[in-house]
Amino acid sequence: MSQDSRVQAFVTAFEALRTEVEKIIVGHREVITHVLTGMFAGGHVLLEGVPGLGKTLLIKTLSEGLDLSFARIQFTPDLMPADIIGTNIIVEDADGRKHFQFQQGPIFAHILLADEINRATPKTQSALLEGMQESAVTVGGSTRMLPAPFFVLATQNPIEMEGTYPLPEAQLDRFLFKLRVRYPQIEELNAIIDRTTQPRTATVSRVVSGPDVLSFRELIREVPIASHVRDFASAIVMATHPQWEQAPDVARRFVRYGASPRGAQALVLGAKVRALAEGRYNVSIEDIKTMAVPALRHRVILNFEGEAEGVDTDTLVSRVVADTEAGVAHSREPFLR
Amino acid sequence: MTESPRIEGLLRRIRREIRRRRAEYYGLRGAFWGAVAGVAVMLAKHGLGTKALWIAGGLIALGLLAGAVYGAARRIRRGDIARVADRAFGLDDRVATTLEWGARPDRTPLVDALVRDTIARVENLQLKRVVKRVVPREGQLLALPVLACLVLAITPPIPLPSGRLPDFLSSTEEDREERTSSSMLEETTRQLAKDPLKRPAFEERDFAQRAGGTGATTTGDLSAIFKDTSLANTRPDFNSFMKKGDERLRMLEQTDRMPDLQSDYTNSQYKMVYRKSKALTGGLRPDQISPQKLRELLEEMERLGRKGGGNWSGDAMEGMEALEGGQSDRALESMQKALDKMRAMDEAQRSGKGLRGGRESERGGRGKDRARGDGMGPEDQDFGEGEGLMPGKGRSNNPKGEATQRLRASPFDVGVEGESRQGRKDGYDTNLTGRGGSMASRLQYLGVIGQYRKAMEDAITREQVPRDFHDQIRNYFQSLDER
Repeated sequence: MSQDSRVQAFVTAFEALRTEVEKIIVGHREVITHVLTGMFAGGHVLLEGVPGLGKTLLIKTLSEGLDLSFARIQFTPDLMPADIIGTNIIVEDADGRKHFQFQQGPIFAHILLADEINRATPKTQSALLEGMQESAVTVGGSTRMLPAPFFVLATQNPIEMEGTYPLPEAQLDRFLFKLRVRYPQIEELNAIIDRTTQPRTATVSRVVSGPDVLSFRELIREVPIASHVRDFASAIVMATHPQWEQAPDVARRFVRYGASPRGAQALVLGAKVRALAEGRYNVSIEDIKTMAVPALRHRVILNFEGEAEGVDTDTLVSRVVADTEAGVAHSREPFLR
Repeated sequence: MTESPRIEGLLRRIRREIRRRRAEYYGLRGAFWGAVAGVAVMLAKHGLGTKALWIAGGLIALGLLAGAVYGAARRIRRGDIARVADRAFGLDDRVATTLEWGARPDRTPLVDALVRDTIARVENLQLKRVVKRVVPREGQLLALPVLACLVLAITPPIPLPSGRLPDFLSSTEEDREERTSSSMLEETTRQLAKDPLKRPAFEERDFAQRAGGTGATTTGDLSAIFKDTSLANTRPDFNSFMKKGDERLRMLEQTDRMPDLQSDYTNSQYKMVYRKSKALTGGLRPDQISPQKLRELLEEMERLGRKGGGNWSGDAMEGMEALEGGQSDRALESMQKALDKMRAMDEAQRSGKGLRGGRESERGGRGKDRARGDGMGPEDQDFGEGEGLMPGKGRSNNPKGEATQRLRASPFDVGVEGESRQGRKDGYDTNLTGRGGSMASRLQYLGVIGQYRKAMEDAITREQVPRDFHDQIRNYFQSLDER
């Protein structure tokens, strides 16, 4: 298969999957696109939004469009790590001898929906850490690989904070993107009403298989990125650090800690997926700018002043991107801008 | 490196555009600064004549050319050109990525697809001008110096205030004609300046005497002006001037010791009468003195006493009566008493007169009362036995009365003048010009000064003498030791 056809296949698969999801989910096109981007980039995605916006439905629909195994965990305060990973249980064989047998938890699935992840205790939340980073879990001294592709989609509710355990920064950093599911527009709301209050007719087809996803992930990493585009991505990530000498004022004033190197990886990988999804063979500056907010918004930790002022991390990252772009342009002479 | 001639053609085209824009940009900047230099040249038109206009125009053209050459010659990187092309034609960084990755050994198969895609897109481009013209700030202001040059070209030349620029004008006939009136005026001025009897021109006054007074009269030397004085060759001594200035400043800090400079002491009544009495009695015995002149002097003293409210009128009257009786001795004695009273009143008026706030003014006021009356002030008259004045509290139980006035009570006490031999000595041979007059005296001051020094140390310890003045006071006593 030629490179052109591989790219074309990816474009087709990406578009088909988005179309399938949009059969069920009204609006939220950007969120759907970013969820697919995160999945093809090989990362995990955290969706944040108030209840009733269709987060869980979006993920379930996505799993229906993929020919992959799907598991859902409803996180509660009494959920234990073993409930996620699995545990050794005593079984008796036909001869009457008893032995330990590993009973797999729901994490052993291609697509894992961690619903309301911030309602479980940090101990339980941390049970996901190794799986998300290494695609493997260790139980009873033995490490077990998770199926590939492994993709965690977590949701959390930003307003009902009583009895919740906010995700620690280490775990937040393991999510490639954090997406905010916003309230629909009135036209979208009308469409939601029409679709959900009538007999359901729409069905989702499986358009992408697991091996396809893995193949596309390899293709995505081949997408070339020019040095000046890469430098721009690095400059954005560095600009989120208030200690950086060229950091913009907004970062110096409101940020305690900036994005980690994982943020730069997420930025470039997301940009590559976006470029390929548009049928382009290279990463552009525009791709980087588009992926900056979902890739960095959960990696920037505000300081006290930022929290007190109610600074929105989305706005902050957007400002950082704009300032960085202006700084780069300003550093060139007028004829080369 | 891509082999596509289309991409290379696109890059060449954009490079040419960038060079052209750069040449315009830097050419305008160069022209501006050339025009600024041209304005300076036009200001010197007085010395340059019509050539100034040509020089100014040449400077503008030179600046324009130099800027344009610099702008066109500046290096442009291929990557920068590619980025300009990507942005201008909406190629989403395809050209820049193609140029960079096309030459890399680790290029992936996807890069080949990228190169093909880029070439295809570039071939379909509708070429246009992509580099915008940028006018520098100097370019926006270029009209100002150019206009200034033109205005200066049509206006008459501005005469320079001093010196002359080198005379670029040749001795051709044309130039000579242009020089007519202005050069004649210049020559006249030069001749006037060289005249030693007239005051030299400002630019010729070089104050050569400051560099060393050789005494030789040169052009511009002030000794030519002050020919008859020795001051002309004397180098100003600024150190002594500053030293005296410092001493005067120190005196200003001691306000209660300052004399009343408003009155003319040399012409005081006492001085006048004293001189007359000295002229009358100088070296003569009482019987040799002219009674007529002595009477006139006594009458004068009596008149002054009545007119000025002095208390010596009675003495003068007694002197005149004694003179009527032929008693010249008594007349002289009365005159001396009247003189003493005049002197006392004069001193009382001079010490701290007109100054307020100082302790001396209060004392001086009382002294004046005392001199005016019978030696007792209004406060002193009511003192009983064993009482005295406590400053600010009326009567004092101190039987000794007021404290003795310090040395500074009278300028004569500290203003001792005269010559003394070198070295340390226990007494000071005075040659007074004050009230001591011609009387030789010897001030045994070493013993006195020791007491005063002890009193000074006690005062510094007990009284609230400002700390900054401690050293000043001690230095004063130290200076007394050195004498």
